[in-house]
Amino acid sequence: MDNGESLPSFEGIAAAFAKAKAEKEKEESQGLKPLTVDAAKANKQGEVHFKAAHGILVAFFTWILILHALGIYLFTSGFLLTRLVLDDKSECSVPPVNSARSYTPGSPETGCWHPKTFEKAIVIIIDALRYDFTIPFPPAGSDEKPHHFHNAIPVLHETAINQPNNAFLLPFIADPPTTTLQRLKGLTTGTLPTFIDAGSNFAGTAIDEDNLVAQLRNASKRIVHLGDDTWHALFPGYFEPNLTRAYDSFNVWDLHTVDNGVTDHIFPLMQPSNTSKWDVIFGHYLGVDHAGHRYGPEHPAMNAKLQQMDEIIHKMIEQLDDSTLLVIMGDHGMDAKGDHGGESDDEIQAALWMYSKQKLFGRSSPAYVTPPATAKERPIAQIDLVPTLSLLLGMPIPFNNLGKPIEEAFIGAKGDNFENLAIVNRLASSQIHRYQHEYAVARSIDVSTRATSLRLWEEANVAWGSLDGKRKKSDSFKDPYAAFSAYQQETLGVCRALWARFDVPRMLNGVTILAFTLVILAIYARGIEGDRSELTPVLLFRGGAGTALGVIVGFAASVALPNIPREHVLIYTSAVSGTIGIASAFWYIRRRLVSPLPSTIWGWMSVLFTILLSVGFAANSFTIWEDEILLHFLCTFGVLTTLSSLRQKKTADRALGCYHSILFIILTRVASLSRLCREEQMPFCKSTYYASANSSTSATWQLAIPYVVALLLPVFIRDYYGGTLSYQGSAVLWLGFALRFGLLLSAAYWTLDAADDGNWYPGYGEILKTTKIVIAQITFAIALAFGYSTFNWSKPFLNIKSNAPDSKDTSSQVVADGGSTSIAILGYANVHGSRYALLITMWSLAIILVQKPMGAGAIGIATWQLFSLLEIIDTNRLADSPIGPVVLGLLGSFHFFKTGHQATLSSIQWETAFIPLRTIRYPWTPLLVLLNSFGAQILCAIAVPALVLWKQPPKKKGLLGDVAKAVGTHLLFYAVINLATTMWAGHLRRHLMLYRIFSPRFMTGALVLLVVDLVCVFVAVGGTRMSFLSVAEVFGWTS
Amino acid sequence: MTTVINSHPKPRAPANPIDILNNDAAKLYTHLHPALVLSLYAYQFRSIVADPVPALTSALVPLSILQIAYVATCLPPTGNSGSSTLQQEKRKPGEKKKPVPGKVEVGINVKIIPAFLSLLLSLLVATPLLTATLVLFGAPITTHHTHTLLCGAHIALLSTLPLVYVHGVDGETWREIVAMLLPIDEVYGGLIGTVVGAWVGAVPIPLDWDREWQKWPVTIVTGAYIGFVVGKLVGGTLLRGKKIMFE
Repeated sequence: MDNGESLPSFEGIAAAFAKAKAEKEKEESQGLKPLTVDAAKANKQGEVHFKAAHGILVAFFTWILILHALGIYLFTSGFLLTRLVLDDKSECSVPPVNSARSYTPGSPETGCWHPKTFEKAIVIIIDALRYDFTIPFPPAGSDEKPHHFHNAIPVLHETAINQPNNAFLLPFIADPPTTTLQRLKGLTTGTLPTFIDAGSNFAGTAIDEDNLVAQLRNASKRIVHLGDDTWHALFPGYFEPNLTRAYDSFNVWDLHTVDNGVTDHIFPLMQPSNTSKWDVIFGHYLGVDHAGHRYGPEHPAMNAKLQQMDEIIHKMIEQLDDSTLLVIMGDHGMDAKGDHGGESDDEIQAALWMYSKQKLFGRSSPAYVTPPATAKERPIAQIDLVPTLSLLLGMPIPFNNLGKPIEEAFIGAKGDNFENLAIVNRLASSQIHRYQHEYAVARSIDVSTRATSLRLWEEANVAWGSLDGKRKKSDSFKDPYAAFSAYQQETLGVCRALWARFDVPRMLNGVTILAFTLVILAIYARGIEGDRSELTPVLLFRGGAGTALGVIVGFAASVALPNIPREHVLIYTSAVSGTIGIASAFWYIRRRLVSPLPSTIWGWMSVLFTILLSVGFAANSFTIWEDEILLHFLCTFGVLTTLSSLRQKKTADRALGCYHSILFIILTRVASLSRLCREEQMPFCKSTYYASANSSTSATWQLAIPYVVALLLPVFIRDYYGGTLSYQGSAVLWLGFALRFGLLLSAAYWTLDAADDGNWYPGYGEILKTTKIVIAQITFAIALAFGYSTFNWSKPFLNIKSNAPDSKDTSSQVVADGGSTSIAILGYANVHGSRYALLITMWSLAIILVQKPMGAGAIGIATWQLFSLLEIIDTNRLADSPIGPVVLGLLGSFHFFKTGHQATLSSIQWETAFIPLRTIRYPWTPLLVLLNSFGAQILCAIAVPALVLWKQPPKKKGLLGDVAKAVGTHLLFYAVINLATTMWAGHLRRHLMLYRIFSPRFMTGALVLLVVDLVCVFVAVGGTRMSFLSVAEVFGWTS
Repeated sequence: MTTVINSHPKPRAPANPIDILNNDAAKLYTHLHPALVLSLYAYQFRSIVADPVPALTSALVPLSILQIAYVATCLPPTGNSGSSTLQQEKRKPGEKKKPVPGKVEVGINVKIIPAFLSLLLSLLVATPLLTATLVLFGAPITTHHTHTLLCGAHIALLSTLPLVYVHGVDGETWREIVAMLLPIDEVYGGLIGTVVGAWVGAVPIPLDWDREWQKWPVTIVTGAYIGFVVGKLVGGTLLRGKKIMFE
């Protein structure tokens, strides 16, 4: 911290400037500057200079943000799977092979490619109907206790056993991602999902691929849809407008509106007088899914919901006519907390049940009459529904289908019609073969990748051909049936692998951009001597020039390389050329460069923490146990600062440092008790975030946590202000009143929410709902509207006191000595820190509101820890060290886990969107979910400037440069993590655990980096503008 | 701030690295000791993995004996540190020279009793502190208490017993020990090695290798033993006399 020391200047002007500055300083050191006209002018100049330097800093970090975004975009677009969508449609009159048994194809009335079995169908989706909900529990020979979700919907299992020719029940395995939108695509097109659609759950987009619904529509069938409105996003205008009823699907806290709507409208349609008005009904119940999201499966609400479904199915069976097929299925399952999206067993295992009044269904073995005891036995894929329904209803199989007809539906009541089974499988396989051929042509795929499947295709045709023309026993068709099945299985496997085909050049180029940006950031943050704000203009200028040049080069290159998409070339050249521009700027200022490698134990610890964490992400175990690793690192930091504090010379520093270090460790450990375990951590982890491991509601005792936070947190923060007598002016208004009131309101919100959830006051639900939303909005207004007004316009937290001259208080500055009294400025010692830290408390309030009660405790502790950390950094004189910003990164990542999150899709708390709003509103909905998910990282990022401002003298030189250095270091931490997770995800792209572990961690890392970039630029660095201007209003500008 | 508050008006003599006693037995045993400690641990490793609590409990006895033998044979007891010349300087003016007692009596009074006191202090003071530290670092808070306590006891016996023996219980000295202000020697190196070893020992716990030895607290104790041996060796040779700098 050699603020006054002169540095080797790189320009003559700088030297002259420094001289002038030194003279001015001398003049200023005489005492408070007299406000002459000259001084006022100089002051104005200082302000203009600061605003310009600050603006350039914001621009520079924004530019880093853009580089990060470009690199992440390029990698992501090559990494998240892509599948070419073929526009071909199957046609009724054009079967993929000549038909067997002299059947004349081409008529929807009798059946397009195969004689149809049913005239009409009712297809009901019970969202998130997990397979184990439908089978009896406990299984024979086990004495486990049934849960709420067990034995509540017995109808499916009973009918399958008692009337095996009318019904069958099978495990129905979803292809991840297990989000409803993706599942509906799979269930209607019969093809595999690609990951890139996973994020579009907010707004679905129409399916243009060939699909069952489109085929039905082409055949002039009248289709009715009832329930979840996602269908309308996928199939706009396909349904009978006057019979169809769609309901908002996103309000997961509403268990009944959608379900009651479906039930109210479906039974009238099943009346004999109305059955002529429609051909196919798609009904989509959401209650089970919403009960899972809201309460988790282990809750009486789930039991009630499943029993309601049971009754409805019973009623449907009663009213069903002979020519109609009834299908009940889940589109995916749910994990132990009732969420879904990923690919754990519980999430992909749904149930499928088909029922008909005619005795049409059979089993190939009598043992198969009993539905499988677990979803691991005899499972069928969800895409198998597509060819099955198509052939049963006499439709052509959609062109892109990869599924196989379900055995039970075609084998006949006696379970021996292998001829029929062979015929339908031949049809399905031929369509698959036709599709594969077209796909291979369109994508120019090498024949070698298809060699095995082509061989199987030949074998199947030979097996079929050997029977051709002869009327044989049904058993002899077993061979061709098996051969066609084998071909379908192999093709499905090839497609899974093929569509897991990554665009490696894009990924590599994305990683290159991220790596170059990382180097730039590393040099900027750690490799420059002196004030960064002086050097940022030249960096920004050269970087910008480089980018502009890169765009030109990119245009030229894209002409030369017509095979590569222009957007890819442009992004790559402009980003790389921009980093080269910055590199040239570094060369220009080379005399100011120092080695970015650490030289102190703190530097090495910063590097060690970051590198160990990054290396660990290559192993699934370390990724799974990231929360524990972070706890370990944070405690290590606390122990080291305890040791370091004991080395301090001043007893006060020693005592304060030790106290805050030990406090920091203990708070970390207390916070670590809040856990939400991911599936892979079982059985070594016990979730405490909600009432139980199978719940997503808080226990009653947890409701007390926000109140404790409201009572204690403002007191603790006040103490940190009190140490330097900075609890003055607006700080009293904010900390003493507004913050506390806001925290109390937030606590009240969660109590009301629990009352609404648990239905404590029946009949008052609507009032509770309205009240809690209003309370949430008021809290937000206090935190951000009132908070920012206070932050922007309040004076520095100072007070003037005249007292006897013997007062020896270090927190106040004696400005006019002599005579009997002196005037002291209270709060002088921490004027910058106390002023800026207000921003932390504001955002803390906003973030606490959007966390569940347990999360409010975690964020409360995090806020307390932030202030402790500021004291630790100050007493150990580490403001210049990288350890502060790095530990803030660790702390943010740690509390991410402590606020009930994991690096998995299913742990996203979507319901946050409804805290201050009733419906989805852009852009607020995604912003709220982001604030909930990354609240901890956001809070810690906001605290970064405070590290270098806490207890710094108001007129210290180069404070803005120090802020830039700290912010750069903080971003560096996340950039390293992001680069590591990106590289590991790319490198391990064939790993078994890619979608379960590495890919979600990569997405988390990328999102966190972008969010932290944004917050650092616009909230943290942006906030320093307000606080610096406010301090300078009193103390004037130093440069 | 111009005045530096100094709680120790009289500057203390700069601490010197501990020398092992200048006799053949000490020179021999100081090299033998780590080998004995490690072989003892290796011998019991299987039973520790099989059932940590009884095995770790019974392992405390031979470890205590070895450590007591080590400090009594090789190390200068507290107040006797450094070379004899330094000892002369340290003697306060006016202090009477004590009558020279018999050899066996000296052995018991000066060595065995302090060694047992060090053992007692390590078990009663250092063990609870280290156990608490282990819990803070993420050891199970509701279960495995005996496991953690035994782990703490092993670390305490390895790291603090020799330190208490050579440095006593002077508060300021212990501040310097904890603050890592002492020059490195084989005793101090043993402490740092044990702690770092235990820290590194946490690394394999999360790995999904499904090995018996990954169970709590086997890896930590193993790390502590290996760290002790390495730290003692490196501290007594390569890094001897070096000081740890934070800045």
